Amino acid sequence: MTFVAAACGGSEQLQIDGLAAEINPEECVDGSGKEVTIYSGRTENLIEPVLEAFACATGVSVQVRWGSSTQLALLIDEEGKRTAADVFLSRSPGPVGFLESKGLLGTIDDSVLNLVGEENRSAEGSWIGFSGRKRVLVHNVDMVPEADLPTSVFDLTADKWRGKVAIPGTNGSFVDWFTVFRDQYGTDVAAQWLNDMVDNDARYYPNNRSIVEATGRGEIEMGLVNHYYNYQEVAASGDEHRARNHDLDDDDIGSLLIITAATVLDSSKNSEAANDLLAFLLTEPVQSYFTNKTFEYPLAAGVDPNPALPTLTALEIGSVDFDALGGGFEETARIIELSGIQNQ
Amino acid sequence: MTRTRAPRELRTIGLIGSLAFAFPGLYLIWRNFTSGADPLSLLFDSRTLEPFWRTVRLAVLVSVSAAALGTALAWCTTRTDLPFRRLWRVLLPIPLVFPTFIGAAAFIRTLNPGGLANDVLGAIGINETPELRGLFGAWLVLTLFCYPYVYLPVAARLRQLPGSFEQSALILGDTAPQAFRRVVLRQISGSLTAGTLLVFLYTISDFGAVQLMRYDTLTRAIESNYLARPPMAFALSLILLIFAGLVVLAERAVNRRLPEVTSRRISQPVIYTLGRWKAAATLLVSGTLLFGVLAPSAALIDWAADGLLRTQRGGRPLTINFSKVIEAATNTLSSSVLTGLVALLAVTPIAFLVGRYRDRTGRVAHSIVIATFAVPGILIALSLRFWTLKSGFFGDLLYNSMALLIFAYVVRFGSLAIGTALVAVRTVPDGLHDAASTLGADRWRRFRSVDLPVMRPGLLAAAGLVILSTMKELPISLIIAPIGFPTLTTRIFGSFEDAFVAEAGIMAVVLVCASALLSWFLVLRRADHL
Repeated sequence: MTFVAAACGGSEQLQIDGLAAEINPEECVDGSGKEVTIYSGRTENLIEPVLEAFACATGVSVQVRWGSSTQLALLIDEEGKRTAADVFLSRSPGPVGFLESKGLLGTIDDSVLNLVGEENRSAEGSWIGFSGRKRVLVHNVDMVPEADLPTSVFDLTADKWRGKVAIPGTNGSFVDWFTVFRDQYGTDVAAQWLNDMVDNDARYYPNNRSIVEATGRGEIEMGLVNHYYNYQEVAASGDEHRARNHDLDDDDIGSLLIITAATVLDSSKNSEAANDLLAFLLTEPVQSYFTNKTFEYPLAAGVDPNPALPTLTALEIGSVDFDALGGGFEETARIIELSGIQNQ
Repeated sequence: MTRTRAPRELRTIGLIGSLAFAFPGLYLIWRNFTSGADPLSLLFDSRTLEPFWRTVRLAVLVSVSAAALGTALAWCTTRTDLPFRRLWRVLLPIPLVFPTFIGAAAFIRTLNPGGLANDVLGAIGINETPELRGLFGAWLVLTLFCYPYVYLPVAARLRQLPGSFEQSALILGDTAPQAFRRVVLRQISGSLTAGTLLVFLYTISDFGAVQLMRYDTLTRAIESNYLARPPMAFALSLILLIFAGLVVLAERAVNRRLPEVTSRRISQPVIYTLGRWKAAATLLVSGTLLFGVLAPSAALIDWAADGLLRTQRGGRPLTINFSKVIEAATNTLSSSVLTGLVALLAVTPIAFLVGRYRDRTGRVAHSIVIATFAVPGILIALSLRFWTLKSGFFGDLLYNSMALLIFAYVVRFGSLAIGTALVAVRTVPDGLHDAASTLGADRWRRFRSVDLPVMRPGLLAAAGLVILSTMKELPISLIIAPIGFPTLTTRIFGSFEDAFVAEAGIMAVVLVCASALLSWFLVLRRADHL
């Protein structure tokens, strides 16, 4: 995707409509001659209106390479200092942590960092969270009565739930969640929980979407996922889809909020426009858009979460210092692999 | 029969071509050295060996079943009086175009418990559908998505096969099955082994279908280690590639013992009357299409229809519009057709080196091209990024260009064309060539007037395989395509990732229709060989 506002002397003005125009109802400004290239692990459906509105409001020409967060992080690592990317948007913190460990992230301006709470940005100033997705227990309403549902992930190891819980064992957001789990409870407790889940015949699925879909069909009773997929399924299929989200207790690790993150690359030659973009993501109209249109949690500008979303007082993943974790993601990957969940 | 040395220009072209195909392998070796990976120790680790053996088991099973199914379908649609043969020929290649990440998901959506088939069968009192997963699920879905790798080249070969041999065998008292075994099977064996090898290599490189079927293979282990433990991912990929290389060498050893193939353009193929077997053959073909095309398409259409109805009712609007779909479809078609043509140009010289001149350079090139098919697409994409960044000015020129995208696609899928192209080269009778030579035709003239007409059906089948596969390619399309070059597959991926199933469904239906259109063209073009 490329949005180019009118260049100097050009007669054509960038026109936007639909959701983008809701975010930025003003008339588009003339092209500033500035440009920014984004590698986005957040998908086109959700982010494109935001980027269009940014191009319109600032006159910055925006170019985007869409992809999966993991693959784009690998690409940036491969391209190193010569990457075309100024900004990297990630669905979850893992790929950002990977790039940070490679020393490829730059430092975001303080004025931008301060737009978001300390718990939702890196202490080194290398990334900010710009929206959140909450971990929930999705369940099939015909198979599991509301009253029976557990309040903590630790309940799921009980015999009552034998063979009934789906876990996206190798999926990025689960790996991130499990890393925080280790941080909060210690590696021994976390690894024990996962091993107990395997012993309890927890069932492996490759990702959140496939769990929500299978739960909606009644193939499996429940699963640990991000809250957001079920909203999309319900929006798409309505009542035909028989799964709903269940909130575990607010202080349970199973209610963690996982942020989506934005970074500026160290090699960026357009860091001014890049910082402008990050600041734009944290403005009131964009944060409102995220919660009202894409069912995510806002993180800035005093925007309240969409009333349709479960209340939020939970832990936030941003508060965790990944570097302090012994072995970090590498150790998490090893524990998950050893648990054998992928063969369930 | 004279065997001359290969012309020097041809060997040079072959050498350059094989170097291009060696990029991913060289990259993997380089990465293994620079990241401190230790593939040897992994080889003797049970945590590596288990997924490895699962990969092998699945690949063997899928190869056997896809070979049997593909050959049976090819025979039924080319050599019998099966009704609606033209229609079947257009429809049978279609499963090739389903990207497995959505194709397998749609397959599950239709057939698994609570799915669409459940709803239909519920009406006649059957309320249980089995849960497709694990080895069985992966085997089923990959067999259905991979049989065209065998079907297309074998059908092309069968259509060309002179009927005179079979007629002789029949006259001499063979039954039709005996004639098939003694004559037909020997003559198609080259196409059959080449196609089966592709099925095998595709299966070991597949990630989408095995992960959705929850069958833990080597590719899953590679995928979940990219960020957490890169050296491990590189080491496992190298193991996969070396294994693929060994399989390719094994196939060549087998292939060398196969009988020479022959072809005479003038002779009519034998058409068998099915008689009382007509129902069984019709059942085989329609059953394959029912599970291979209709089952996944049903879920896609269901998703698409839900979305369209929803907008009619004033629900959430779709995030795509007509012009976006057209843009993506145009990009998909233009890039894949271009890839098909370039792939032919790239592999035909190598096929000539091997098939006509038995050239050693050619044989090495041939193995490299085919083994590359087992490298996961993301690694091919990264390796090309790596090499363009290392190659200075030339790399800058290529960075973010269409040329690089097509080049990457060709490296990914050239393997699909080379086996079929090789068979095509070998079908040109030496006598015909020698006669033309005696009559004073120069090399280029001989190529145009003798080789090309005989090779055309095989080359078209080769291009068809490449085109349909390129249409569904994902990682290279995401990583290497110029910025602002969406394809249907990248847009399907983006929508499906975030459960925008209506949008994904609509574009996947467009993808299937586009592939049917191309397949129809290919079938029509070959009509003169029927």
